[in-house]
Amino acid sequence: MLSRCILSVKTPVGPPIEIIRHTFSAPLPKPAQRVSLVAGLHGDELEGLYICHRLIETLKKLEEQDALKGEVHIYPAVNPQALETGTRLWPFFSVDINRTFGQTHTPSLPGETSKILLEDLKSNSDLVVDIHSSNLHLMELPQIRIIKNFEKKLVPLAKFCNVDLIWVHPHAEIFESTLGYNLNQAKIPTLVIETGICLRINKNYCEQIVLGILNLLRQTGTIDSSEPEEEIREPKMVQPEYVAMVQAGNAGLFIKQAEVGQMVTEGEKIGDLIDPVGGQVLEEIRSPRSGLLFTLREHPLTSKGAPVARIATEEPA
Amino acid sequence: MKEKVLSIPTAFGAPLELYKNSWGKDGETLAIVSGLQGDHLNGMYLSSRLALFLDSVVEGIANYTLKGRVISFPVVNLNAVQSGSKLWPYDDMDMDLAFPGNPNGETSEALASAIYTHTADSYWSLILQSAPPHYEDAPHIQTLKLDGRIKKLCRDLQIETVLKLNATPKVGLFHQMHARDIVTVTLSAGSPRTLNIQQCDTLFQGIVNFMVAEKILKDKRKLPHAENTNSKFYEASDEVSISASTAGMFLKEVRVGTTVQSGQKIGEIRDLYSGKRLEEITATADGFLVTLRQYPIVYEKEPIATILTQKKSWREYLPWST
Repeated sequence: MLSRCILSVKTPVGPPIEIIRHTFSAPLPKPAQRVSLVAGLHGDELEGLYICHRLIETLKKLEEQDALKGEVHIYPAVNPQALETGTRLWPFFSVDINRTFGQTHTPSLPGETSKILLEDLKSNSDLVVDIHSSNLHLMELPQIRIIKNFEKKLVPLAKFCNVDLIWVHPHAEIFESTLGYNLNQAKIPTLVIETGICLRINKNYCEQIVLGILNLLRQTGTIDSSEPEEEIREPKMVQPEYVAMVQAGNAGLFIKQAEVGQMVTEGEKIGDLIDPVGGQVLEEIRSPRSGLLFTLREHPLTSKGAPVARIATEEPA
Repeated sequence: MKEKVLSIPTAFGAPLELYKNSWGKDGETLAIVSGLQGDHLNGMYLSSRLALFLDSVVEGIANYTLKGRVISFPVVNLNAVQSGSKLWPYDDMDMDLAFPGNPNGETSEALASAIYTHTADSYWSLILQSAPPHYEDAPHIQTLKLDGRIKKLCRDLQIETVLKLNATPKVGLFHQMHARDIVTVTLSAGSPRTLNIQQCDTLFQGIVNFMVAEKILKDKRKLPHAENTNSKFYEASDEVSISASTAGMFLKEVRVGTTVQSGQKIGEIRDLYSGKRLEEITATADGFLVTLRQYPIVYEKEPIATILTQKKSWREYLPWST
């Protein structure tokens, strides 16, 4: 493993801010495939860090066995200050770095950082996997989200990744400042994984993704390994019209009565929205359709209009 | 007239309420929006000052009569204002990346949607903001276009410095206003979390002048028309950014809004432990200092100042030009 610092910034009081890239490379003059894995764009999303840790462990072994046929780059912690404080945003700037890519923006350190990261990924990758957890509010079943425009290229790759779900969704302008969108626009296929919830590590979900990424590396000829020996699951393909979203009709505390990953039937109770002050149940939250509950509200404090659940339905929602 | 345009229930208390001020019924509408960020105090103060002024106009106690229509939204990101921060900590969402919003969405999306909807029939709009965190802006206008209507708006506002940006986020209010062909500029002045009354006075006078020039207001005094400011229009390519090559404490030696010469000292960066000077920051071009670092703690590679330089016209290169 070769480690390189792609960005180093002096800080006023302590050690520098550094973004590290670890490289596992085949001893060949020109590696077959270059795959990059990115984690920690949001400093409170820790599952990607654990997934990278597990992959580094495994790739070290594969390197010793000469099983590498391509090049794997791992960027395990690309927003170091946010990671150190466990916050989604880069705390000194209150900036979501995954909203700063590809913009013509006024000069700033977050802007400069995203530019350097984007350029490094572009010049070192044929395929990128950007690993995210959900925010503080929602628990997500391991899934890959694909913007409709990139569906044709990305779905076959996403199917290797051992996720429960591939959600193809329409384009929205807010995506245009994300890393995934900008890499895909630059013709570098990029899969965006969402799994679990921020500030927690769901070990089962992480192991599922580790297995999936190793399978992706194997299927793309980046590693030559019999791993994974376990069976890779067939993901549920979900088109936009097959997602039923449940939103809160009131503000209150959500008390869940279901678990993400569960099959629910139409009308089945998912939880209650209660008035924490007045003591009454404001709303019984029920599934509007039968299907797979792949997103569920975890943060009880709920505002009106907030998403409570998403269900992948069998028929158009 | 203060009118409630949106009420959002909250879990623990009274609902969150978005208010719109409006004056006049006829004529083209001017929309003024401030408080998209919870710590942009200059804009919120300026909106409140305009409200006081326009109320006095309507009551007939000012030297003006109202001929057009004005609406204003003094505070948009209500929760962020309440928490004394740029963003609302609950969702960490930049309100100015939530447009056009969603009436059925979460709080920030619903607020954005209400602003988007209520400004739809405006002819002009002014978005009031402060500099980004850690910086101070000299009062200036930002625009996405420089057509005749925008140039006239800028001249009427009597603010000398106009910067044409290359782009702004598509999900920002500024972009959305332009996309609807509303004649829109952003007025930027001061720093977040700081109120600068002097800068607000400058902007206030400019907005009143603009309203008179566009016949939204009529001056009863029949004073001779004031000469408009000769606006200086800058392109994004005229911006020169000066960055720190080390980290420490920046001590400034110039004021934002002044003209600087190439080589002039702007400030210096000192080491926090030894107090020693690590770097002298100097202007790298002649021009107008539109943005300056206000918060002293700086990281390496961070911009310290932005100078607007005006390219010479080809006439100035002629041998007989002086």
